[in-house]
Amino acid sequence: MANQTSLPGFGSLRIPITHALSACLVCAFALFSSTRVLAQQSLVDRQTARIETIKRISPSVVCVMASSGEGGGSGVLISADGYAISNYHVTSGSGSFMKCGLNNGKLYDGVIVGIDPTGDVALVQLQGRTDFDFAEQGDSDQVRAGDEVMALGNPFLLASDFTPTVTYGIASGVRRYQYPANTFLEYTDCIQIDASINPGNSGGPLFDIGGRWIGINGRASFEKRGRVNSGAAYAISVNQVKLFIDHLKCGLIVDHGVADFTVETSSDGDVVVSQVSELSDAWRRGLRPRAKVLSFAGRSLRSANDFQNILGIFPEGTRLPLVWRDKDGNHEATIRLRPLHAFQKAPELPEERKPKQEKNPDEPDEDSETKGATPEQLPAELKSLFIARDGFCNFHFNEVRQKEILQPLKDRVAGKAESTAAWQVGLAGSGTDSGLTGELAIGPGVAGLKLNGTPYLQNASDPKPEEEPPQFPGLLTAMLQLRKLLSGDAAAFTDQLAMGSTLHLPLRQTVQVLVTREGLRTCRWYFSDASPLPVGMDLEYSQGIDEARLLFEDWQDRGGAVFPGRIGVISGANEELKWLTTGEVTVK
Amino acid sequence: MQPKTVIPLLAFLMFSFNGAATQANLDAQSPTEVLAMRQPVLVKLFGAGIGNLDSYGTGVIVSKDGHVLTVWNHLVSTGFLTAVTADGQKFSVEAIGTSSEHDLAVLKLKARPEDVFPFIDLSKSIDLEVGASVYGFSNMFRVASGSEPVSVVHGVIAARVPLDATQGRWKFPVKSPVWLIDAITNNSGAAGGLLTDVQGTPVGLIGREIRHDSSRTWVNYAVPLTTLRPIVDSILSGKKVESKSPDAAADIPMISDRQLTSRFGLTMLPNVVDRTPAFVDSVASNSLAEKSGLKRSDLILLVNDDVITSVTDFQQRLATFRAGQRVTLTVNRNEELVAIELRVP
Repeated sequence: MANQTSLPGFGSLRIPITHALSACLVCAFALFSSTRVLAQQSLVDRQTARIETIKRISPSVVCVMASSGEGGGSGVLISADGYAISNYHVTSGSGSFMKCGLNNGKLYDGVIVGIDPTGDVALVQLQGRTDFDFAEQGDSDQVRAGDEVMALGNPFLLASDFTPTVTYGIASGVRRYQYPANTFLEYTDCIQIDASINPGNSGGPLFDIGGRWIGINGRASFEKRGRVNSGAAYAISVNQVKLFIDHLKCGLIVDHGVADFTVETSSDGDVVVSQVSELSDAWRRGLRPRAKVLSFAGRSLRSANDFQNILGIFPEGTRLPLVWRDKDGNHEATIRLRPLHAFQKAPELPEERKPKQEKNPDEPDEDSETKGATPEQLPAELKSLFIARDGFCNFHFNEVRQKEILQPLKDRVAGKAESTAAWQVGLAGSGTDSGLTGELAIGPGVAGLKLNGTPYLQNASDPKPEEEPPQFPGLLTAMLQLRKLLSGDAAAFTDQLAMGSTLHLPLRQTVQVLVTREGLRTCRWYFSDASPLPVGMDLEYSQGIDEARLLFEDWQDRGGAVFPGRIGVISGANEELKWLTTGEVTVK
Repeated sequence: MQPKTVIPLLAFLMFSFNGAATQANLDAQSPTEVLAMRQPVLVKLFGAGIGNLDSYGTGVIVSKDGHVLTVWNHLVSTGFLTAVTADGQKFSVEAIGTSSEHDLAVLKLKARPEDVFPFIDLSKSIDLEVGASVYGFSNMFRVASGSEPVSVVHGVIAARVPLDATQGRWKFPVKSPVWLIDAITNNSGAAGGLLTDVQGTPVGLIGREIRHDSSRTWVNYAVPLTTLRPIVDSILSGKKVESKSPDAAADIPMISDRQLTSRFGLTMLPNVVDRTPAFVDSVASNSLAEKSGLKRSDLILLVNDDVITSVTDFQQRLATFRAGQRVTLTVNRNEELVAIELRVP
């Protein structure tokens, strides 16, 4: 134990250093006083640094309350324009508008933007400023058990001036899985901490010792003591939250995903497929029961819990790589996650999960008159920030996002979007398909392709997968959809919505997603920051059939239309990418 | 000076000539590394839960052959224990020695003879000063499953005091001082976990979910390993250690749990709370109890004409009969009263 006391450990800060020293060691320190100074300096430095860090990060911590001033929890600002992350179980009791206190003592109006009920995450936007202090994002995958952490928030709503309470601890475990007990709130891949977490801390940020935001404190193991700190609390990892932020900004009720297969941990400790849906991507790529899953989303697996942990951090609709081994060797494919709950409305929480009015336990109860006070009348500019619509948390933000995506596209194609004429364009294969030539015709209602002399014809209103050219399945239906998108006509589709962002495979870049629907056909259009025109699209047009997956490059004014110079088509068991080059477009 | 402190002190003195080297030496064992280093000696225990008591706990491997030190609580006394080691392997477990006075049990993983386990060397365990920083390793709340690392909390030694505490009617038996910790270790499944100093040196065995007698608060405590070491050593060396039932009530003669099992073939729900009802937990095959027709989950209501109010009551009432006497037990089985006749062995 000799050198333990000079270790700049957490405990040493709480006690005079000499307490823990044997007489012998005091001699040692006296003889080599430079070491003692160094050790103490280190302690003082660490404390000073921590105080500075807390000072720096406190302005990003939000106290979230219902607009009547009741209830409450915490949150954290993530951008200067006032976006703040909290827990769903905090905001769900507050309605569409809430009051948000910051450590400058000021109260701001907040509007609900998007919710992720399964992940227990909500996005709020604070109003009135564009220069909010916000938290620096960390990388929760780097957190290890034993790392020092700080939880900031407003437990018991103690701070009437909104100065956050700081509690300190260590990461007790990482990549924890917490079942959705009695509810739909599921904590996957979360960080377990021993810092005190109490009612009111919910939704508040967890920081590493350097002040980087690594999680949202939202859950604890409560038992015999009641709903107070038990030494085991759980923070949603910031890396999971990051995957949902763009979705939340679209005003969605964001859903989590399910894979179309189930796994179990075998007695040998392998993760083995137990069932596969025959309508799934995975089945068509050859995944069968008893295959051993080697990795999912780029992470290796040690247990079925690991699989659940990885699955849980992605929004519904994400396409993820899967590697498995069967008797024929190793295989790799990408699979798209299906919706888990598909909530049409914000789901109700069980009674015990609802936030309760927290009182300072040292204070007497307030007069009952202050309760149930009617919320103040909202000013019109605030009211305009909320639009209720089924399937959305706040449709206003989806409209804004749609416009941000589609307006540049409309501006780009302006005057080139004649809606009745047919487009004709020559095609040429490349690589192993370099002998292929074709002529593509895209009208508003029908698309045709003559490929090395063989004709294919596809109808816009009722496309049939078997009518597609087998070398490029889905190409014609996709072209009909593309033509609609490029018409710039809002009414071209039955429905359209902004759907956040995703890491596009195989592009390996984060792209914004716009979803359009027409009949049974759902298109995901992918947009990069570099261009107002899509870099790719995936088209679902019939269950049990592979999506048509296209990439677009080299958009130009080609003759009478704006059209990509290269069209990539991903198809087949190996998800092979084949490129077609296009010629000038003739508008007839 | 204790011999064990000589080497660290010498090392300390040597390194002290160069401040940078000292710092490097200390930094070599980061908290993350200490935690990772200690995880392999922890096992997750799973057994029979009763009522409000959990079906899981923690243990510490103390020999290369897979001996596991834990608290002698209901998990051990009900049997059917399995242990999951840090690499996710599952073992069935037998209790090879217990001491109610020290509230400890030594278990043995039923491993292959060639299996070698990572373990803590109890002879290296140390006592700390009050104020020293500690880590508590345990599978509290069963957060970890399979090969996942158990939870770790941090704190300081708050006091070294004799502990007056109880769990239901069970009284904490250790008379010598224990460590009180300012971290929360008084949690489901934490009993039998490991307390170490910040360098991972073993210090204590995390105790049960008990309340202090005078304050009625939940006490976070660990029994010093230096206290437990001689007992564990004598169990490991094959010496008989007394193993009186931890649930034995005072004064009034009663048939012990062990006698019930050995003579009648009957295991009752352990008497873990005041007036635990007399439920049959298991019936050994080919035993007197089975031949008489007793079944698992039977609730014993009457012994002859005497109303039985608790399992202790039952054991005391049974003790009033001599061998060879006939006894009628009336039991509630699926809402029906069933009379069972047996001759006391």
